[in-house]
Amino acid sequence: MTNFLIKRATTSAVSLLILVILVFFLVRLTGDPASLFLPLDASEEAKEKFRELNGLNDPLFSQFLRYCSDLLKLEFGTSMRRAEPAIESVLRGFKWTLQLALITMSVVAISAILIGSIAAFKVGGFFDRIVTFFSLIGASAPDFWVAIVAIVIFSVNLGWLPTSGTGTLWHWIMPISVLFIRPFGLILQVVRGSMLSVLSSDFVKTARAKGVKNTVIIFVHGLRNAMLPVITVIGDQAAGMLNGAVIVETIFGFPGVGKLMIDSILQRDFAVVLASIIVTAAAIFIMNILIDILYAILDPRIRY
Amino acid sequence: MNYSSLLKTAVIAAAMSLPFSAQANDVTIVLSEELDIVDPCEASRSNIGRVIAQNVSETITELVPGKGLQPRLAESWEDQGNGTWRFNLRKNVSFSDGSAFDAEDIAHSLKRIKSDKLTCEIGIKYFGGIEISTDIIDSHTIDITAEPAQPILPLLMSVVTVMRSSEPMDKYVVKPVGTGPYTFDQYIRGMQINLSANPNYWGGDSAVKKAKYIFRSDSAVRAAMVATGEADIAPNIALQDATKPEIDFSYPNSETLYLRVDNEVAPTNDVRVRRALNHAIDREAFIGTILANGTIQATGMTPPSTIGYNHDLKPYAFDPSKAKDLLAKAKADGVPVEKEIRLIGRINNFANVQETMEALQAMLQDVGFNVKLEMYEVAEWLDLYSKPYAEDRGPIIVEAMHDNANGDPVFSMFFKYASGGAQSGRNDAKLDKMIADATAATGSEREAMWKNTMAYIHDDVVIDVLLFHMVGFSRVNERLDFTPTIKTNSELQLSQIALK
Repeated sequence: MTNFLIKRATTSAVSLLILVILVFFLVRLTGDPASLFLPLDASEEAKEKFRELNGLNDPLFSQFLRYCSDLLKLEFGTSMRRAEPAIESVLRGFKWTLQLALITMSVVAISAILIGSIAAFKVGGFFDRIVTFFSLIGASAPDFWVAIVAIVIFSVNLGWLPTSGTGTLWHWIMPISVLFIRPFGLILQVVRGSMLSVLSSDFVKTARAKGVKNTVIIFVHGLRNAMLPVITVIGDQAAGMLNGAVIVETIFGFPGVGKLMIDSILQRDFAVVLASIIVTAAAIFIMNILIDILYAILDPRIRY
Repeated sequence: MNYSSLLKTAVIAAAMSLPFSAQANDVTIVLSEELDIVDPCEASRSNIGRVIAQNVSETITELVPGKGLQPRLAESWEDQGNGTWRFNLRKNVSFSDGSAFDAEDIAHSLKRIKSDKLTCEIGIKYFGGIEISTDIIDSHTIDITAEPAQPILPLLMSVVTVMRSSEPMDKYVVKPVGTGPYTFDQYIRGMQINLSANPNYWGGDSAVKKAKYIFRSDSAVRAAMVATGEADIAPNIALQDATKPEIDFSYPNSETLYLRVDNEVAPTNDVRVRRALNHAIDREAFIGTILANGTIQATGMTPPSTIGYNHDLKPYAFDPSKAKDLLAKAKADGVPVEKEIRLIGRINNFANVQETMEALQAMLQDVGFNVKLEMYEVAEWLDLYSKPYAEDRGPIIVEAMHDNANGDPVFSMFFKYASGGAQSGRNDAKLDKMIADATAATGSEREAMWKNTMAYIHDDVVIDVLLFHMVGFSRVNERLDFTPTIKTNSELQLSQIALK
């Protein structure tokens, strides 16, 4: 296992390095930050001063070498927009995104596994049909539409929940609910499909013939064997959320890293773009290693 | 504690934390974007201005809609000749940290906005190409000299936010200290900014004691926050969200929408073609449909409240047959009117920009223009809108909005129309002289010169297609007595808000 972890960390570091190189050069091809940062009427002299102050006049390769040397000292550069270390902006946003992703994915995973397993046990029954119908609607509902409709109904019309923000427990209900819908529908379908396959296996038939309780068959024998593809999909969905739930962050005023990343790209705030990509990529690499470890725990046949 | 009482406690605690109520004297303002910087030298950027300008940091003079230029930190001013103006400063004014305000602070603030180590927008936007020097006469009298001389120097002082002379020349401040009616208490990044009333303010008490600024990008959410009472003012909401006439106010937002036409490239280098562009557009059809009621047809680049705005000019009538006729005449003289013209729009520039651009394209095509619409994100759009223009650009028309809430055309005319202007589509020595002369003139002569310049641009050489003076919408909670004005686009003075 130790060898595996070292190998995995090394390949992740190489991938991260390639990503940083690509993003560093590609983002600089997208336009001049001086034109975006300064007023339209700014003179060429003012733009030149801005470029000079931000080191944008140096040859691209010199800028890259300087960036790499700073990175080795864990310095991620200064945000041109915010005039503060880029990593501070990113970690502040990532803290919110991580909380949102962890809470939402926990709720999604528990609900989808539970409901998907029960639906698969009586396939074609009333419960299965209802669950399948609503999960398919959930998987295809656009986030922004659901979010706005939820605000109109629960905040404006009923007055039950605040429209947006992060201050109290109540503020978290709508963002989490909106984020919940799509991965829940998708993961539930995967759980159901995987459980259907496991429940028709010989060992399940044998367990039934021996009179083992349904709950034990589903949640002990069936679920453990059905979990591998489910974990893969959960990991994929969680990675998407760690990159930032841009729509939900934008509508509900969550100061997460997804919106920060999009704003930084639009504003050509290079240091923040790179810092946010490094932080989210590192988080996703760590999560993938954890998933690999989980595979080995769930299926003893898997050895690294 | 058993489960039942634990549950009860949790429900009560959660209910108590419901965030809707606020103190009667507090206001919450929901802005469309988070402030990246809070330094007063950036207060000309609208969202920064709405928090900082005249609330935390005051200006030397103040332009008041309907009243003109008024005293603020300067009580009076007089022209000393040769580009020098003397400003007599208000006495017994202190900064919110208790330090006294004097002429040193003015001198430092003027120097700081032009600092080499910062890129202050006020310095770049309003003092580009102008050298400012100061001479302190005594602690409350200062001579300010502009080179070249600026007849509107007192008006220019209405954009200079005053900071303490101890503020660094090479670093933006993160907790501004000003002489204004409010102190900047706290900025929780990503969340909110808190201001509270300055007890030592020279101008007396204000009704609002505390203000909280929060940030929501989505217009529907901002509107909903005021409707539910979570916020008191949303200074900028979209047309489609302004659905409650009792709390939604429209106001001229100082933005002018126009099509910048390239006067140097065929076929738009022919005045008949430019006139045809103007006659091809049914401006009235936009108002009350895809643009808000209250939108005004434009005949000048600046809002109608600007001095020197020529109210005698008439918008071009929608006359497709006249447009066709003009094109036919130009064609007969060898102008390549069939040549494809790129019509450039800016994505998300204003509500319904896509629909507006598509309608404009259709109207131009109806009279025979070969127009191709292209919509661009801001960075690409800027490359097409601002100089240097590409040599092989071909005929190009660029949709743009221009903001001038400063009361004088000087802030617009050079950049948009002079040969050296960053977004000008024309090289015209006569116009350059007209702009230079009007810029240097004062009083009624200045007003008359700007009127003539606007007539020349609109009627004689038809430089561009002026479309609309736009309106903005603010939603204001019924508990407040506050009416948005043209200045709401750039500042929001808390001291002007009364509570019902």
